[in-house]
Amino acid sequence: MASLIEQPIAVELGASEPWPDNVCLFQPYENKQILLPDAASCVSVRTFLNMCGLKYTVELRNNAENMSPSGIVPFMKIGPFLISELDPIIAFINTKGHHLSDNLNDSERAEMRAYMSLIDKVMVNAELYLTWCETTTYTEVTKIRYGSPYPWPLNIILPWKRQMEIGRKLKALGWAQKTYEEVCEEVRTCCSALSERLGNQQYFFGNRPSEIDALVFGHLFTILSTSQPKMDLAHIVGEFENLAAFCIHIDNKYFTEIWRNDSTAEIQRHQEGNGQTSNGENSDDSFVKLNGD
Amino acid sequence: MGVVYAKELPSNGPNQVDDSHSQHEVVEREEVEVDLAKTPAHVQKVHIDGLGRTKNDFVTDEVDELFKAENFEDMIKKCAETKMKLNNLGIFKKISILVDTSKGEKARPDGYEVTFKVEEMRRVGGTLNTHVGTNDGTVSVGAKLPNIFGRGEKFDATYTYGTKNTVGYNATFRRPLKINKKWSSVSSSIYRYSGDFPWSGYSETNTGIDLNFNFKSIFGDHALGWDGVWRDLGCINRQTAFVVREQCGHTLKSSLKHTVVQDHRDNKILPNHGSYLRITEEFAGLGGDVQFLKHDMELQLNRSFILDTVLQLCLAGGVMKGLHGKTMLNDRFYVGGPLTLRGFNLRGAGPNSDGNSLGAETYLCGGLHMYTPLPFRPGKGGFGELFRTHFFVNAGNAVNVDFNTTAIENLQQLVDTVRLTYGMGVVLNLGGVARLELNYCIPVKSQPGDSVNPGVQFGIGVSYL
Repeated sequence: MASLIEQPIAVELGASEPWPDNVCLFQPYENKQILLPDAASCVSVRTFLNMCGLKYTVELRNNAENMSPSGIVPFMKIGPFLISELDPIIAFINTKGHHLSDNLNDSERAEMRAYMSLIDKVMVNAELYLTWCETTTYTEVTKIRYGSPYPWPLNIILPWKRQMEIGRKLKALGWAQKTYEEVCEEVRTCCSALSERLGNQQYFFGNRPSEIDALVFGHLFTILSTSQPKMDLAHIVGEFENLAAFCIHIDNKYFTEIWRNDSTAEIQRHQEGNGQTSNGENSDDSFVKLNGD
Repeated sequence: MGVVYAKELPSNGPNQVDDSHSQHEVVEREEVEVDLAKTPAHVQKVHIDGLGRTKNDFVTDEVDELFKAENFEDMIKKCAETKMKLNNLGIFKKISILVDTSKGEKARPDGYEVTFKVEEMRRVGGTLNTHVGTNDGTVSVGAKLPNIFGRGEKFDATYTYGTKNTVGYNATFRRPLKINKKWSSVSSSIYRYSGDFPWSGYSETNTGIDLNFNFKSIFGDHALGWDGVWRDLGCINRQTAFVVREQCGHTLKSSLKHTVVQDHRDNKILPNHGSYLRITEEFAGLGGDVQFLKHDMELQLNRSFILDTVLQLCLAGGVMKGLHGKTMLNDRFYVGGPLTLRGFNLRGAGPNSDGNSLGAETYLCGGLHMYTPLPFRPGKGGFGELFRTHFFVNAGNAVNVDFNTTAIENLQQLVDTVRLTYGMGVVLNLGGVARLELNYCIPVKSQPGDSVNPGVQFGIGVSYL
């Protein structure tokens, strides 16, 4: 029980210290392991960090999910602290004095939270549904990728076990009973709401990026750039031109440029071994795909 | 088997019995001393009464020895031995012996018939246990099916449910085999168990299948087995060291293991004399994603002196090498604990990080004990024999071998960072299977980061050094 109190206090105390040099973001391997929902949240977190202009390195581990304190990827190691998922990471970084949304007034901030929870409710569940409950995707992609780090027979047992877990979760949320078409429809509704809010602006709120931009980009960009047996979700997102343009803009601004400018040296260092890569390096293939679209 | 008193047969025949009844005459019974070792005896027939589902060929071999008896004393001895053998088959609840003179046409004057009256175990047996540990209470339900097909095959299953997330099961099938007139056995089991290792900050859930072959040779008792186990390592809490966290996740170990044990001690827990040697080798890497080679051995020598003093020397050591990359936490060796390297907490000595012990690829541990009976010997010859006082010196170390440096440098490191404790205490023999110790320990040498426990230390367990 002690740890329940200890952790927030420790985080509170740690907040006064400056951003350390050895911050690491842990996530599964992108090219052969990571799945759509995890990839989306990893991209969101990285976008957020890039928007804040914070330095970090990405470490790829095939057991990232098991290493994470909450069992969810990605998670960050900031000094002695381990923080997983986007919301806690945003909260922690805010305590360090980096705010993206401090130029917003209270009602805008509340609206932003509402849109963020819309993404969590709809996009995340739709991604989970597509990955784990849609049979073709499960057998052709999910099962193979999720089982890839393990030897036989674990590569069969573990995806199956995970499928059961996710199935139970979606059932509790009322998503498991939906048909694939219904899920697509939910995504379309969500996208149209987002598209309407974005309009012709560069960012969702004002002329500066905020948390919602990182979250939306993470999900939409991942859906657009990941090749799947069923590309319906990508087509739906692609129907909204302003959203696609938003993705390309964020991608260019916060990934391609940063990555071109200052991390060449780091890439070389990490290529020497142990599964580390620097900012955005392994989104490489995804960029090509998106630009090709 | 010295002298047996036997009644001389009445010479007058059966009609005398009536007389004695009517006249209330007490018949003088003459007691004659007979030297049984010189009384010829020959077992002509052996009956085994009460066999139901047991196949005859499974037990007949066991009584062969009886036919070799040449005199009465020998026969009685062999009867007792045979009873023991039958008992060891583990399929009978009760065995009683009846020796009678031979009857019938082919009866010899010195001929005897031996009858073993046996009662078979029930087809199904059950157990129910509760167990309360330091941070968990469990209840386990078990079923036992002895002698299923009549040749000693046994099936055993237990299911354990804990208040925390410790759910475990174990199902074992064992079949005895006779090779070169010696009993050996093959067994196979499927199991799942989980355990917390707070000293290392991780919890482990193991699910697996094993196959074992147990046999005897001139070197001792062997166990040769294959084990295929899926291990799931998880962090106990947020305080778990990052080095430990990095190893969390699923691994599959498929290993071949051979153990040979030579036990010449008179008692497993508080021996007076005799030696014990155990050598274990394990090779992991037949499939799965854990590859290592591991050797482990343990030696114990006991010697008794005047005034029932026993001197005991224990040595244990092991070395392992990962064949592809580093070894895993749950495969490594750990040193320290109230029954091994006393004066240290469990896994208290050796490499560690943030208070979590990480284990090492090499270890060496030893102990020198002097056991004496309790002062003033209360309960001598009875209850008091379960207790001993002991003075001990323990030394041990666990280090990671650096294969890039020379053996001498590695040895130097092992010696330089040795941990040393001495002390005294009381040992209790718990039913001949476990050992309970209450010691006062004075650690003399320890390393920074070690978890030391000076002063009074209590320990209970099966293995000790």
